[in-house]
Amino acid sequence: MSDKAFNPFAMAQQQFDKAADFLNLDSGTRELLREPIREFSFLIPVRMDDGKVKVFRGFRVQHNDSRGPCKGGIRFHPQETIDTVRALAMWMTWKCSVVDIPLGGGKGGVICDPHNLSELEQEKICRGWMRQMVRNVGPFTDVPAPDVMTSGQHMLWMLDEYERIRGEKYPGMITGKPVGMGGSLGRTEATGYGVVYTVREALREMGIKPENTTASFQGFGNVSQYALLLYQQIGGKPICVSCWDQHDQTSYTFRKKEGIDVKALMGITDRFGGIDKGKAKDLGYEILPGEAWIEQDVDILFPCAMEHQITDANVGKIGKNVKVIAEGANGPTTPEADKVIQQRGIFVIPDFLANAGGVTCSYFEQVQCNMNYYWEKDEVLGKLDVKMTSAFLAVSERARQRKLYMRDAAYIISVSRVAQACKDRGWV
Amino acid sequence: MNSKETPTTKLIWFLQERAKELSCLYRIEELLKPESNLEDVCKGIIEAVPPGWQYPESCQSKITIGSSSYQSASFRESPWMQSANIQVFDQPIGTISVYYTQEMPNEDQGPFLKEEVKLISTIADRLGAFITYQKMKYVFQEYRTAAQELLDNTKTEWRVVLDLLRQTDRNLYLRISHKMLNHLCWTGVDEAKQLLEYYSPGEPGDDEELLGESNRPFYRKTLISSSDFLSDQTFGIAADHLNSAEILKLIQKWIQQDKLGFLVKSLISSSSPVAEVAETIRRYRRMVPEGIGIPEPTRRSVLVSLIRRFFSEQLDFINTAKQHIEIDDVFELLHNMIYTPESLGRLGGKSAGLFLASQVLKKLVNENSLLADVKIPKTWYITSDVVLHFMNFNNLEEVIEQKYKEIDQVRLEYPNVVQTFKNGHFPPEIVKSLSAVLDDFGDCPLIVRSSSLLEDRAGAAFSGKYKSLFLANQGDKADRLEALLDAISEVYASTFGPDPIEYRAERELLDFHEEMGIMIQQVVGTRAGKYFLPSFAGVAFSKNEFRWSPRIKREDGLVRLVPGLGTRAVDRVSEDYPVLVSPGQPGLRVNVTPEEVARYSPKKIDVINLETNSFETLEVTELLKEIGGDYPGLDQVGSVFEEDHLRRLSAFNLSSVKDLVVTFDGLLSESPFISMINLVLKTLEEKLGTPVDLEFAHDGTNFYLLQCRPQSHALVSGASAPIPQDIPPERMIFTANRYVSNGRVPDVTHIVYVDPAKYGDIADRATLLAVGRAIGKLNALLPKRQFILMGPGRWGSRGDIKLGVSVTYSDINNTAVLIEIARKSGNYLPDLSFGTHFFQDLVEAEIRYLPLYPDDEEIVFNERFLLGSPNLLPELLPEFGYLADTVHVIDVPGVTGGRILQVLLNADLDQAVAVLATRRTDTTAVEVRRAQNDQPTENFWRWRLNMAEHIATCVDPERFGVKGIYVFGSTKNATAGPSSDIDLLIHFQGSEEQRDMLDSWLAGWSLCLAEINYLQTGYRTDGLLDCHIITDDDIARKTSYAVKIGAVTDAARPLPMRKQGQPRELPLK
Repeated sequence: MSDKAFNPFAMAQQQFDKAADFLNLDSGTRELLREPIREFSFLIPVRMDDGKVKVFRGFRVQHNDSRGPCKGGIRFHPQETIDTVRALAMWMTWKCSVVDIPLGGGKGGVICDPHNLSELEQEKICRGWMRQMVRNVGPFTDVPAPDVMTSGQHMLWMLDEYERIRGEKYPGMITGKPVGMGGSLGRTEATGYGVVYTVREALREMGIKPENTTASFQGFGNVSQYALLLYQQIGGKPICVSCWDQHDQTSYTFRKKEGIDVKALMGITDRFGGIDKGKAKDLGYEILPGEAWIEQDVDILFPCAMEHQITDANVGKIGKNVKVIAEGANGPTTPEADKVIQQRGIFVIPDFLANAGGVTCSYFEQVQCNMNYYWEKDEVLGKLDVKMTSAFLAVSERARQRKLYMRDAAYIISVSRVAQACKDRGWV
Repeated sequence: MNSKETPTTKLIWFLQERAKELSCLYRIEELLKPESNLEDVCKGIIEAVPPGWQYPESCQSKITIGSSSYQSASFRESPWMQSANIQVFDQPIGTISVYYTQEMPNEDQGPFLKEEVKLISTIADRLGAFITYQKMKYVFQEYRTAAQELLDNTKTEWRVVLDLLRQTDRNLYLRISHKMLNHLCWTGVDEAKQLLEYYSPGEPGDDEELLGESNRPFYRKTLISSSDFLSDQTFGIAADHLNSAEILKLIQKWIQQDKLGFLVKSLISSSSPVAEVAETIRRYRRMVPEGIGIPEPTRRSVLVSLIRRFFSEQLDFINTAKQHIEIDDVFELLHNMIYTPESLGRLGGKSAGLFLASQVLKKLVNENSLLADVKIPKTWYITSDVVLHFMNFNNLEEVIEQKYKEIDQVRLEYPNVVQTFKNGHFPPEIVKSLSAVLDDFGDCPLIVRSSSLLEDRAGAAFSGKYKSLFLANQGDKADRLEALLDAISEVYASTFGPDPIEYRAERELLDFHEEMGIMIQQVVGTRAGKYFLPSFAGVAFSKNEFRWSPRIKREDGLVRLVPGLGTRAVDRVSEDYPVLVSPGQPGLRVNVTPEEVARYSPKKIDVINLETNSFETLEVTELLKEIGGDYPGLDQVGSVFEEDHLRRLSAFNLSSVKDLVVTFDGLLSESPFISMINLVLKTLEEKLGTPVDLEFAHDGTNFYLLQCRPQSHALVSGASAPIPQDIPPERMIFTANRYVSNGRVPDVTHIVYVDPAKYGDIADRATLLAVGRAIGKLNALLPKRQFILMGPGRWGSRGDIKLGVSVTYSDINNTAVLIEIARKSGNYLPDLSFGTHFFQDLVEAEIRYLPLYPDDEEIVFNERFLLGSPNLLPELLPEFGYLADTVHVIDVPGVTGGRILQVLLNADLDQAVAVLATRRTDTTAVEVRRAQNDQPTENFWRWRLNMAEHIATCVDPERFGVKGIYVFGSTKNATAGPSSDIDLLIHFQGSEEQRDMLDSWLAGWSLCLAEINYLQTGYRTDGLLDCHIITDDDIARKTSYAVKIGAVTDAARPLPMRKQGQPRELPLK
């Protein structure tokens, strides 16, 4: 298989180049930000359950730490490549910057398939990874987090290894820990609430009262459920939500024109956001095809399910009155569809701004850990509101001033903040 | 009785009497609990009897047992009485009597009805059985003490024994004297030699004759006095040369040997009923309390006869069983057997397997203490021929013919068969035994399991073919007994169900004389709230046929675990997932991330509801809401899902359980369960000489083995397919020799091949995703389970879809085999997913998984065929035509001149091959053979109707201009004989040309059917179809045959036709 055909890092660089052109960045800054500032590639020998030794390759890429310690997940993936990790690390730099939290971007991983590993072997990999990286990660250097095929359990193993070597407690050196083991409250709500905080500000700027709006949601997972709850709380009327049906292996849209009752729906939903079709019908919901969420005559669309949901095939079906699209999911809009939306003048809150509540909450986890004092949930969510609101206002102001599409504005503002930090430090 | 009464009132009176008697009997059954004492029982019976008789107000009763007697309060004797003996061990020990205080009209026997005569003797029998049961407890104890005393006191014991023998069994006494004389001679005692010489010369017979059975009277008479003398002399010499203990031991040994003659005789004769065998073994046991002193050959021969009789005649089984079973073990088993007096029957396959396994494990407990934790639930066995007595008793013999009927008809009639069986009555002795069984079990839930003779035959699994039924076993005893009888009759009826009959027909086992043994087993579990359930249950296999990681070896075994009753682990359940563990590699789990673990965790649970007396399937979450911490062993079963983290439960915080996921984490990582089950699998595999398949359950405290059979029968694996060695290379599409599971996919008509090289070249994500969508469309379009999917790397890749086609389970759920191709690029060999993205879905749907490594040596990978054959994709899915370079759809019969692809997988050899083959004709051959075997007349019309229906679905309405097809005449009316034709009405509305085409098409069918009919029946006809073409016009004017349509009497029956535009029907199976 030729790797030239599809290189995620090359794509990320292309995207950066566009922003750099717009900002007219000097060549030094470009050169610095086009590549990760540090890369680690190392081996992790592990004595397997059967007594044999197997050697795994581990990575850590620190893209940029001009704004603060690097932040990013650790992936366990059998086909991990350094280019994937580089692209994701760069993405993390922009994401932290757009919500203006004092963190840089990083990413790491191990080439392995947890499906072929016992728990003990995975633990050994985690500890081995940490032994190799112990001098180059830490609460003030680089802060890892769970990612593909890693969970809070892996983070605890890594944290434990780090603390054992350092001989002191550093709960802030890693995030994504379970509550009670240094995790933060409010993580479940953070992303969904964050989406609505930005929507609320957008509506305020457009002079629309939330109580006069209706909305349609795609997906009924964590993000969507809490977004729905908060949207309803600020006065909005959600009229439909779509979700995946595990049994039928297809998705459905559940509609109630007089407004859906989120709490009641959550009561008939499984752990994975699948709504019980029969019970929903009993509650008076219309069951429509999965695609129907996008065609509704509403003011706001919340694509909160997965990537590539608004495509050139269905972008034409978006209702006439839609004024805002808030991307709760990662990359829900394809580039072709994005062009159409831009032409129609719909206000888009781009994914890496709209769903930055998650990374902001990770930052809060780290902050709490560093001072070894943990906030109540209300306090977490209150601070989240402040962060998200100011992040949104900065982006929308820039978009207005420079007459930019929101997605471009968000990207440009985040790159410019990083570039500025590098300059301020005298690096470039 | 008043003779003026009308017949109806008489009938009502009669029924009332029966009801009284029954309720009397039920009251008495209630009294006879194992723990009640005799006095209470007798007093209770005295009270219960009068209401059961015709004139309760003047009725009183009395029980005499030994010196005690019990009677109604104001009892006085009278001449109007009846009585029955109470017997224990066939000896009368007392009586029960019923008296009328005044004279009553004469009935069948004095004033008593004949039903009352029967009733009193039944009561006496039941009371006798109750007393027997009570006594047995003491008898065994006493017996032990006596045996011990005898051992302690051997000094002059032998003389006492000898005297006793001389008085009671003279022949034996003489034989023993001779044996002693011989013994003394052999050991070189001179006096003995002299004695022998003195008496032997010239005598017409010696000890040889005496040992034989043919003592002639005259000879014995003349010999008696001298023999006595000889014996005295012999034992005199013996006393001088041997010590007392030795003599006693010898005498005992010879007596035993002598008596063994009858044992062998009775056991080896296959016609001696079980009752006799049981009695024989009991006698044998009395003689040899500790099993000492039997010559080894005798012991073996007895043992083998016992195994053959009770378990199986299969040599393999006997060979293994005789190494692990002792005569005493069989004796123990006899205590728990139920049989009719004339029963010869065996216990059936399931019972034999479980019994053998339990004996193997029991004998190894000392070697490994883990095995001590394995228990067997209390079980009673009904011998297999009781079903015949039951059928005989109810005149149901003709049901045996069911198996020779057409399968459709069997299916049709099965509900009636079940009802007939359920309405049948059991022979009274069986009812009596079962009543005693219920006394033994008490009111714990029971499972009635089939254990048929065929179930132990190699190669025929019958898993799930016969019924197993759960009984809550709650309420009063009469109801419980009723439910037990009902369940047994239903299991009996399942012998004649369509599934087992079809299964037997496929394996040519129809002519086997099938009998159905029954196991009545205590259900493992505990009560929690109103439910009864085990903590968990499951099945275990010593060979793992579904490896989800290349690190798992076949020998690592497989366990499927479910919470609650094991039914959900035994059967494949859609939309729910048992937890899979490989005991040899317990760390390698199918699901890794907490999200995956939660998604693929068991969501439902089978339990017994003790309040409604029913078997129920509940949501695990609902059940836990109700019973919470009362769930047995919850800390071993569940984990808490918190945010994205799974935390093991501790026994400490059970009460705060909110979001619980069944993971078995506690069980697997903190208990010895995995080591134990691994040890059990390995031990049984080694000792039984075959991979095994186990069922088990755990009540939170103890592990119970429920079933054990050879794994070749296992449901989770198909049998391994033989791999032909002489396939011409041009007919092979691919071969594989790594990580192969078992199975055989005989009739693949389409191959979907995603070319790894071309897929790797695709640059943009949209096109990669389109490949996934195209696969999904093909999955819906191609014939289910008749196509295979071959593609690069990891099917169902989510994040990095470069690694494999991005599909969900619903995009591939109709394939027969999912193949992942790992092609080397440079030095780099990609990892395969082993289907992990939806591994559990594949297992539950029986979709085979196969990894291919085309670049390995000695591997065939016919890329030319896959890439060079005409590609149907643009035709099937024009919108995906642009992917034709990457996605190839091959119509196998289309490009090979009618051949199909067979995928043969053999895990034993670790080999698989996909080979082009001519469509197998065996199945048709079997059909024909079967048809010839049976001649019931129903088959003629049924076959004709099937064919008529089939023709109707094959007609292409557009091509032939046909609007409708009807069947009438003998085929429709079910009166067709072997030479009848099939009358069809064809509603035609087309052109001349179409008419000609239709005629010749039908003529072809007609000739073919005639030929088949000839093969089946021997009747030769020119054609079997009699077609009548009618038009719209005919129908409007009701001319000719058109009147048959919608007629009031004998109307023609419309046949369902293929809808327009529907794809062509596949050929007949």
